[in-house]
Amino acid sequence: MATSTVGGQKRFSLNPATLAWIGLIILCLGIGIISALAVFWNGLYITNMSDSVPWGLWITIDLSAIALGAGAFTLSAVVYLFGLKRFQPIVRFAVFVGFIGYSTALLTLVMDIGRPDRFWHPWVYWNVHSVLWEITWCITIYLAIMLVEFAPVIAEAKFFDRYPWVRKIAKYLHKLAPFLALLGLGISLLHQSSLGATYGIVKSRPIWFKPSMPIMFILSAIAVGPALTMALAYIAEWVSGKKSVPDDVLRSIARFSGFVLLVYGYIRFWDLAAVTYYGRTPSVSEAFNLLRQQTPYNFSFWVFEIFVGIILPAILFLTPRFNRNPGYLVMGALFAVTGIVINRWNVTVGGLFVPLSYSPGTLYQLEPGKYFPGLPEWGVAIGIIGYGLAMLTLGIRYLPLFSKEEHS
Amino acid sequence: MSKKKTKLKLELTRRDFLIVGGAAAGSVVASQLLTTGPLSPFANIKQEQVEGIEEAILNVTGHRWGMVINLDKCIGCEYCLRACSATNDVWVDIPSENNDPEKKRPEKPWNIVVNEKTTAGTPFYFSRPCLHCGDAPCVEVCPVKATYHREDGLVIMNYDRCIGCRYCEIACPYDARKFNWQERTDVNPYIPTWGIAEIPRRPRGVVEKCTFCIHRIDAGLKAGYIPGEDLEATPACVNICPVGARLFGDLNDPDSKVSQIISTETTIRLREELGTETSVYYIIPREGL
Repeated sequence: MATSTVGGQKRFSLNPATLAWIGLIILCLGIGIISALAVFWNGLYITNMSDSVPWGLWITIDLSAIALGAGAFTLSAVVYLFGLKRFQPIVRFAVFVGFIGYSTALLTLVMDIGRPDRFWHPWVYWNVHSVLWEITWCITIYLAIMLVEFAPVIAEAKFFDRYPWVRKIAKYLHKLAPFLALLGLGISLLHQSSLGATYGIVKSRPIWFKPSMPIMFILSAIAVGPALTMALAYIAEWVSGKKSVPDDVLRSIARFSGFVLLVYGYIRFWDLAAVTYYGRTPSVSEAFNLLRQQTPYNFSFWVFEIFVGIILPAILFLTPRFNRNPGYLVMGALFAVTGIVINRWNVTVGGLFVPLSYSPGTLYQLEPGKYFPGLPEWGVAIGIIGYGLAMLTLGIRYLPLFSKEEHS
Repeated sequence: MSKKKTKLKLELTRRDFLIVGGAAAGSVVASQLLTTGPLSPFANIKQEQVEGIEEAILNVTGHRWGMVINLDKCIGCEYCLRACSATNDVWVDIPSENNDPEKKRPEKPWNIVVNEKTTAGTPFYFSRPCLHCGDAPCVEVCPVKATYHREDGLVIMNYDRCIGCRYCEIACPYDARKFNWQERTDVNPYIPTWGIAEIPRRPRGVVEKCTFCIHRIDAGLKAGYIPGEDLEATPACVNICPVGARLFGDLNDPDSKVSQIISTETTIRLREELGTETSVYYIIPREGL
């Protein structure tokens, strides 16, 4: 956006670019709301999901949004637990991005369940054996933690000049920051990996059922979450024209991301080797054959998940030639985000494509679960993106997301 | 300390020594506590107990309803499918009328009947209700306990609690679950020819499944009937089978028909390697599988 002004302008100048941006957000939100209403009215019938592929685009968005929100707990832990105060200036922003990610996921989840009116059931009717129950609890608790962590920032907004007691409470809450960071770390580690376990524990699905699922999910989240925070910080800086977080801090985050991406890549490599080569089973080989023959799984795996999602960003984040240039870092983050979204899609839809086999005979075969999102699903997805952009824009404009030094 | 130049030499103070020593001792103690000690999650699991858990799953005191399906007898008439769809008012696309292969969401029955072949190529018919697993993946994953085990081993849905997340549908190894994607508006073609609807239609947005005609079992027991013996208390699919390929009864009762058959004939259960301990046993075709 070409609205960079020197020294931080007080009001948005309503130049064409800003107007276009606001218009775009409103358009996205409008499409989203219309699609959501259509889904609530007609039921999930109007989506393209089916009994053989009961989860699709929306679950992919959930998983991606939560993974992309992982910058919050990672960077909070870095500052409050490992005491690397250098990263203090970005913590608030990271928590803000995390909050957007998690609230996005919850919104999409409400769309995705058949009975949105019963969204509160997991809190009342417990099934402690269910990973999904655990995830629901963790996500809501963590959302609450982020709200508390973030309360001081909201309290600093101009609006609260009139209510000093709000500031007082916020100041007290801020003292809880290290404790909240610890709690947040624990809960995030739990549910970020449980999201992988959601798939990893399903013993009837050959390409899901493996213990590496949770590990790959959490590693990819730890890698990509902070990278997205870093990229958004740069973009915020370019848009607002204010230098908020020192370059070396952002570059350190990128380097951290790069290293974790390499670790993630390493685990993926071994997972691939173990599952498809050294320890392959007939059902898994068959499943992968089917995916290779009938879907672009192979292409999207190697090109998007591995090359675009891991190798490219690792190069951009780690080599001095590229990581001194913010443009490359933002590009790297974009690649990594693409990789993680495609990965979540491949896991979900790829896994469901492979039909179950339970008949004792040799003839009967279920159809492969073909799925491509329908219009209402895309509509809701666009609305969700609009929500994220709107929150980011409002936050960057109205909240002190990058306050200078916090004395603790 | 800070005035000194950093040295590479390792200096071990008494304090450091105590910390390191303490940590080492602590780890040893912790490892013992966690592997065999009272804190260990595995400490109490011994072989007998593993078997005990299985017994707890399988040998519920009281009834444990089960079914035997004789693949050798089955003639593929689909009567079971039809009676089931009428009795439980299941939305099913009649196969002959569903000639649209592009239809994105065919309405599948609770109780499928399909053509099958043995490895040798001999055709046979395979049918499958819900298998009512003793260790059911769907029950494990449901976040709200909307699907649960009854005392008598049946896996049942609570349609008032289900949130429609469809995780059970994904976790079920036997494709036995069906989601209500829309409000029912169809006219059930199997009613009244094959029976009348004995339970209400399920609302939009919940997952549904075969219940072994639980309404008949419960009402029948109350009225003094024996499920599997008396038609009033027996699932519709079992009653209607013209060749007696389906048997129903109490697996915990050694004198029931199902227990007798299981103890005398060779039976298999579907995907036994998953450890689901299904309550449905199959007698395989005479030619083998």
